Amino acid sequence: MHTSGDGASRRGFLLGALAGLAAAPRAAKAQAVGIWHPPPPKKLPTPRASVPRDPNGVSPAAQFPSRLVNESVAALPAWVNNNARLVRRITMGVSATEMMRVSVLGYQEYLSKQLHPSTIDDSAVDAVVAARWPLLSATNDVLFASNSSGTVQSQLQEATLYRAAFSERQLFERMVEFWSDHFNISIGKVGYLKVADDRDVIRANALGRFRDLLQATAKSPAMLAYLDQTQSRKGAPNQNYARELMELHTLGVDNGYTQTDVAELSRLLTGWTTTGTGTFMFNNTLHDTAQKTIMGQNFPADTFGGQAEGERFIDYLAAHPNTATFISTKLLRWLLQAEPTTAQITAVSRVFRATQGDIKLVVRAILNESWLAAAPAKFKRPFHFMVSALRATSAQVTSATTLNGQLGGIGQPLFVYETPDGYPDKVEYWSGNILPRWSFAVSLTNSNSTTTVKVDTAPYLTGTADAAVDRIINEFYGGEVSASLRTNLLTYIKGGTFNDLRVRETMSLALGAQAFQWY
Amino acid sequence: MTIPPESELNDATGCEEYRALSRRQFVGGAGTAFAAAALYPAWLPKVVLASTYVSTRDVMVSVFQRGGADGMSVCVPFGDPNYYTLRPTIAVPRPDATTTATRGIALDNFFAFPQAMAGLVPAYLNADLLVMHAVGQTNNSRSHFDAQRYMEVGKPSDPSLVTGWLGRHLASAPPLNAAAPLRGIGISAGLQKTLVGGPKTLPISSPQNFSIGGSSTTQAARVAALQSDYSAADEPLKSSALDAVNTLNLLKSVNFTGYVPANGAVYPNSSFGNALKAVAVLIKADIGLEAAQVDVGGWDTHSAQDPVAGSMAVTMRDFANALGAFHADVIAPALIGVTLISMSEFGRNAKENGSAGTDHGRASAMLAIGKGIAGGRVVTNGWPGLAAANLENGQDLKVTLDYRDVLAEIVQKRLGNTNLGYIFPTWTPTFRGVTR
Repeated sequence: MHTSGDGASRRGFLLGALAGLAAAPRAAKAQAVGIWHPPPPKKLPTPRASVPRDPNGVSPAAQFPSRLVNESVAALPAWVNNNARLVRRITMGVSATEMMRVSVLGYQEYLSKQLHPSTIDDSAVDAVVAARWPLLSATNDVLFASNSSGTVQSQLQEATLYRAAFSERQLFERMVEFWSDHFNISIGKVGYLKVADDRDVIRANALGRFRDLLQATAKSPAMLAYLDQTQSRKGAPNQNYARELMELHTLGVDNGYTQTDVAELSRLLTGWTTTGTGTFMFNNTLHDTAQKTIMGQNFPADTFGGQAEGERFIDYLAAHPNTATFISTKLLRWLLQAEPTTAQITAVSRVFRATQGDIKLVVRAILNESWLAAAPAKFKRPFHFMVSALRATSAQVTSATTLNGQLGGIGQPLFVYETPDGYPDKVEYWSGNILPRWSFAVSLTNSNSTTTVKVDTAPYLTGTADAAVDRIINEFYGGEVSASLRTNLLTYIKGGTFNDLRVRETMSLALGAQAFQWY
Repeated sequence: MTIPPESELNDATGCEEYRALSRRQFVGGAGTAFAAAALYPAWLPKVVLASTYVSTRDVMVSVFQRGGADGMSVCVPFGDPNYYTLRPTIAVPRPDATTTATRGIALDNFFAFPQAMAGLVPAYLNADLLVMHAVGQTNNSRSHFDAQRYMEVGKPSDPSLVTGWLGRHLASAPPLNAAAPLRGIGISAGLQKTLVGGPKTLPISSPQNFSIGGSSTTQAARVAALQSDYSAADEPLKSSALDAVNTLNLLKSVNFTGYVPANGAVYPNSSFGNALKAVAVLIKADIGLEAAQVDVGGWDTHSAQDPVAGSMAVTMRDFANALGAFHADVIAPALIGVTLISMSEFGRNAKENGSAGTDHGRASAMLAIGKGIAGGRVVTNGWPGLAAANLENGQDLKVTLDYRDVLAEIVQKRLGNTNLGYIFPTWTPTFRGVTR
């Protein structure tokens, strides 16, 4: 049993330690000695240290290290080529092939091509997906009958991983990832219904119009089941979907609606439900036909207008200026930088409103070259890290089953995030989880199986150790690395016999290096 | 909100017929006799750090019940008749009901655990478990994410505060062991908000599998190369990587697989059970760990929640059995001071919804377990009551006790950190007698 000790001695102890802490604020010190990155040009969050009273009169809070977390770093100094910046941002990872493409097409043309995925031939990947993961094209009747939710889940996860890594429509895959989080659904709750949501809602609209995407999610049986809309009925409305529709999907939290609006919207949406094995239906017998007012919008008592009035209000939300701001800001964070400027948010929101939420045009506005040239790097999430490692190493994936398990191990198993906000996109959330990435890098680079995953080192072994490192830098980093990373890799590869294992280990270090965690 | 001082805290009012009956007549099983176990048993073959600390401060284990736990199902106010009116299909039967399998387990003459919470009865009888009811935060957001965020940072409605209360505790307290590479751990793939800002604090989803792999011959050289690479990184990446390297060496020395819990405790083989077990191993391994954050989900019970036999019963059984095992294994032997708290971002509507569930509400119940906790009681700061006139917005149990009062008292009295103004900015806490 430990009891509180003598107050006076503890105070002395604390003060002594605090003096040391105060002398060397961690974040400030790290920036001062940073070799790869100059101090970030952006402003750090304002420290919040206002403390009215300390019960024991011990030191004021200002002495403590606040260790405020950087949302991003300055773009790595080695990254000077705007074309390479574009590839990093709109693909799931650079590769020598992608770098060649952008150098031929140029910034604008490359971006235009990626913004129009239907103009990019992706038949090879489509064929692999169709052959290996046939449940993805199955109807809900078939999926229901297959009665094997585990198989459905792993097929969707593996196919998503495979497409992200190998589809030529890379920007499209980045947008699928974005919307899958924005309209997050946990397959653990809805099972096979997520397959149709992924195929017919998210992928069908990922670069379309926001309004169409929103209306499609509102009629997605997976969404309606996930957020308990299927449980809601006249006299007993369930508020779950109504709340997230405003808070997470459109306006942003507390951004123009009240708790009363949530309750009223839940009444408006009664009757929006599903039937059979997963078909949207409006069931008028469940619908509350009495008058409602939501965000000042009047919906008079009706008899048969329940679906139309719901659609009308969803259109209202899609066209709301707060939605334009909320979605534009989130897209800026996804594609450009963690902390977009007010001017950027204003400009992109204007495009959003002027184009009625045309996602292609919004994305194009965000990726303008001068903004991207000045944008700080972003931290890869575990999924992005894994996929970019597969691309960097030109891994041959014959079975994605092991990779899919490893994705869980590094922290981001797909479609199982339980809460409707989706996986965070914050460096402070993910940056502590670095060792599992190193561990995956080791596992991947040691893979040499023609039945699961193979990283072919033959092209790296034809020349000298120096040539192997050059090749790693070109394939993994688009040729842009700091002098210290190059030295580090050369030191390691030359620290032992130049052979297959040494090359694989050097590759693992290149994937584990801090620069590879950014994009 | 006005909150009466400690002296007015009561054990809740009850209806007359229960007043005569003592708590112990009601509670079903007898308390387990807990034996003290040796601190360095065989499962820990190597003592990792040369020096072991002598602590006057508890290790803090913080549990977050994500999703908005229905406090009225976790700790049932059977003495408030409105409870049964508001919950026609999902109420837990009174402790004096005839159905022994489903009736509540009385904690006093007003509150009861459902059978699914039976795993915590021994801790309650041992007076190590304190249940606080009608607890919550002043921020009345009904958004999971806002409510969790503000609760975890420890200050309502300030979006610019990015560090968590427990992280700030670690940042403002000297390490228990100056050589310890891992002061705080989040059993998670990503660092929970509660711990953000803590020095030497990492998210580790599975401490027993923390390794880099590859050839053992070259492992040290590869780790050294990565360490060198990250030494030039910006924060927070630099600290994370260096802490990871040190923790890697540390955790290699801990034999997780051979761990035998004390007192025959059995952790459920669930993600929460395994997480608490891993925390138990780390605490007993005496590596200088000071704080752990563990999450448990499944509380967002919008439909079919039935706390007796439905989804919430499953969630609570896992929750209580895991906490009960942790109590028997770590807290009851009292060889290392540990305080565990458990809370949720909000409670749920007093009235059940049309789906036999409950929507987002306000106050919930909070638990504290420890030898330094004044347990064996259910306390409220005046039960606000479930009559329509007493509900917030006519629908929710009112928050009458700010969760920061509870945390602040524990931080000062059990963790020995008096810098409450830094840890809970702008809040002047009132100590409520939650510690001994």
